[in-house]
Order: sequence, then structure tokens, then C-alpha cells
Amino acid sequence: MARTQVKRHGWIGRLFFADLLAGLRLTLGYMFGKTITHHYPDYEKWIPYQRHRGHHFMNTNDLGEVNCVACELCSKICPCDCITVIPFETENGDRRPEVFDIDLARCLYCGLCEDACPADAIKLGQEYEVATTNRATLVVHLEDLTSAPRKAINGGQVLPARLDPEGGLRSVPRSGTETVGQDWWSRIRQGK
Amino acid sequence: METVLDLLPLLVKMAIIVGVLLLLPLPLTWLERKIAAHIQQRPGPMRVGWHGLLQPLADAIKLLTKEDHIPAQADRMLFAIAPVVALVPPFVVFVAIPFGDPIQVFGTEVTLSLSNLNVGLLFILAVSGIGVFGTILAGWASNSKYAVLGSLRSIAQMISYEIPMGFSVIGVVMLANSMQLTQIVAAQQGLWNIVVQPIGFFVFFVAGLAEAQRIPFDLPEAEGDLGAGYHTEYSGIRFSLFMLAEYLVVVVLAFLNVLLFFGGWLGGPAFLPAVVWLLLKVGFFIWVFMWLRFTFPRYRYDQLMTIGWKVLLPLSLLNIMVSGFLML
Repeated sequence: MARTQVKRHGWIGRLFFADLLAGLRLTLGYMFGKTITHHYPDYEKWIPYQRHRGHHFMNTNDLGEVNCVACELCSKICPCDCITVIPFETENGDRRPEVFDIDLARCLYCGLCEDACPADAIKLGQEYEVATTNRATLVVHLEDLTSAPRKAINGGQVLPARLDPEGGLRSVPRSGTETVGQDWWSRIRQGK
Repeated sequence: METVLDLLPLLVKMAIIVGVLLLLPLPLTWLERKIAAHIQQRPGPMRVGWHGLLQPLADAIKLLTKEDHIPAQADRMLFAIAPVVALVPPFVVFVAIPFGDPIQVFGTEVTLSLSNLNVGLLFILAVSGIGVFGTILAGWASNSKYAVLGSLRSIAQMISYEIPMGFSVIGVVMLANSMQLTQIVAAQQGLWNIVVQPIGFFVFFVAGLAEAQRIPFDLPEAEGDLGAGYHTEYSGIRFSLFMLAEYLVVVVLAFLNVLLFFGGWLGGPAFLPAVVWLLLKVGFFIWVFMWLRFTFPRYRYDQLMTIGWKVLLPLSLLNIMVSGFLML
């Protein structure tokens, strides 16, 4: 910094501390600029992008059945062996999972199961608050997966939020604020 | 009876100054943290009170209730004395600092200073020089390598920078023909000293930063390389005394910069009382000190000495010479 400044301003700039002044100007700009901190979890919550890989969810078809055909490809491709699938045959001859368990404590959220799935069934959604005080609850079952939050359609913004009133460890967006979030990236100063 | 009545305004002024000075570091810590945070795009303290305004109170309670620990091998008496020695000089300096022209209260004239010394400037420089003893004693008494290194650095730094600091104000004294601070301010009627003494101001400002041990000259307490420097071993209330002293030195410096170079209470808009205008200027300087702190990195030890002896000292001597020729 200093050297380039000396080159740019020559010895006159050096005499009058052009480099120090440039530094002061920069910090002055930041001092009166916007802060980038998320006031998470009790005032604001970040809604992740569509590409975010969070808590898994299971797609269902129009009849309310899960899309999964229990081919066990996800379980095979999983690098940490955290998916357990046990298939069974329904009355109309479809192959469906009887058990579909994911151990979130082992999962590394790589998304390979999503890529391997031929039936558009297992996906990774927007939920990222999976902290718990009981490790057993980290093994999620089929019904948890079908009810888990989908991929965010309003991702990439900060919403006004508050802590879950039920005393859970979650932050929930305030009701009626789905459209008033701020574009967080507008607060970031872009370098030259 | 008359002597008591004469003493009354003095006592009131003393109580006000001591009270304000003891409480002043609380908002200043808040301000410093806010400025640091916003320069780094953080909001800083936000949770205790509105925008974290009560955070300093919480911090103070924490510091006062902490264990006051003295290391086993420390020199216990010096260890206990050092924070007080560091704290007293910045308070004593305020004896000589004037806050404005005399005002009329209930028909009697009240001077806005505890004592209008005719060698006020000399007194201030001398007393603030004593402050370094707190640092030295703290470093020595702690019996800790970090603390000793910090106080050694601080001795060298203080000796190097008091000289250009003393020389840089000679130009101001020459212009005012007096060392009385009220006279110095009065001499700036119409033209502030910053215009005629830019080099003197620069030297005084930089040397003052070094005297206050602020970044970029905070080698005595360099967090990065010395733990916390001379107050590494201090905790609880004794540590808070050091903090108090540090902030008060900054306030003193801001006052001196304003009084010597920025016209003191002169030149304000008509609707503002002179004292308020003075305090506004002082606040601006405090803000500048904090702004500098979170902009610049720390100088290396040899760079510190080079700046002190090879740049600031010749500059201050040159300043005296040039002002002398110009006045002839």
C-alpha cells in the first residue's frame, strides 16, 4: 500500500503523508457505512439461497405418496453412510421405503444423494438450525423429511425474525415479513 | 466566614471536575468500541441498553467484582501503588486547564479553571511527565517478563517524545509571550495557531499520541507481542484504574491540542456558550485519536525511535528557528 502510494504521489505525496491520508479516508468511509452483521437469531434471520444444502427433505407426489422408490442409490453413494433405506411393496405393487433414516450428525451435506436420486425424491433444503441437546433427535425419519422445509424461494435476504416462542433453539421470521427482507449484499462495499 | 465563601466556588468546581473525569471513561469506552466496530463494519455493543449504551456500566460492574489478584513474586507495595501513580497525574493536570473566560454567577465572577497558573503549560507538561512512573512501577512490580518489557519500552518512548513535545509548544509560547493558558488562548483571537504553527501542531500531535501510548505508538502495551504490556498482571479494579488513566490522558491531550492550536473556546458560533464550543472541539479530537487507532498498525521499536529522534526533534527545532526569524 505504502509503496504504491509513494509511486503514485511521488515525494510530495510522501512528504504530506498521502498514504496515511488514504488509509484514513478508507476507514472514514467504513465508519459511516453500513454494518454487515446479521442480528441473528432474535432480530434478523438469513434466508439461504436455493443452492444452499441444509436439512434434507422428501418430495411427495399429487397423491401424497413420497416420490422415493427405495432404490437405495442415495444410501450407496453417501460418503459417510448416514442414509438407511429399507424397501417394501405397496398393495398396488409400488416399491416404497418402509424406513428412510438420515443421521444428520454423520451427514456432511455434500448433496450427492440429491444428484444420485432418479425419482426427484431426496433433496437438501433451506433449514440450517439443527442444533439440539439430544443426539438421538439428529436421526430423522421419513415423516420428518416429508414435512421439512423445502428449498427457499425467497433466498438471499435477511428477514426480521424472533426466537421461537416455544422456547426451541430456532429463529423464525416474523409473520407477514416474507417480502420486506433486505438485500444483504447491498451493504457490502465493493472494492475497485 | 469570608474565606469559606471564597472556597465555595473552588470546591464546587473541584467536585464537578473530579466527578466528570471519573465518569468520563465510561462513555469513552463505549465510543471507542463503537468506532472500532463501525470501521470494521460491525455494529459493536448492541444488547445492553439502547445501542449498547449501558455496556460500559456492565463492564465496570464486572471489573469491580473481579478478583483483585497479586502475583506471588510481585513487589506487593509497588504493585498496589502503581495504578494510583498512573491515575493521579491526568487528574492533577486539570488543575491548570481553563475551560473559558470568567463568567458571572449570582453576581460574583467565577473563573472557569481551578487555578490560572502563569506557568500553566509548563506545569501540565511536567505533571504529565510523572505519569510514566505508574507504567514503570507497574512493569517492575509485576515480576513478569511481558510487563518489564512493556515498561522498558515505555521509558524509552517517554524520554524520546517528551523532548519534541516540549519543543513544539515553544513556538506557541513565543507567539503568546506567555505560558499562561488563558493568555495563549487570548493570543489566538482572530487567527488560530494551527495556521501559523502547522509544523508545531504536527509535532505536538504525533508526540502527544506517543505520550498517550495510543496506536500507532502503543508499544508499552502492544497486545500482539507483549500480552498486555505493563498491565499484563493486573486485574479487577487496579486494571480499571489503568484504563481510567489511559482515557484521561487522551482527554488531556485533546484539551491541549485545542487550547494550544485550535483557539480554545474562541471562534464559535454566537449561540453556543464558549465552554460547549471548547468541549465540542475536544470531542472532535478524541474522535480523531480513536479513528487513528483503528486505522494504523503499530510501529516497530526502531521505527519509533527513528521518528522521535530523526524526524520530530529536528522538525520541532526547525519550527522554533523559523518562528523566531519570522517574529524578528
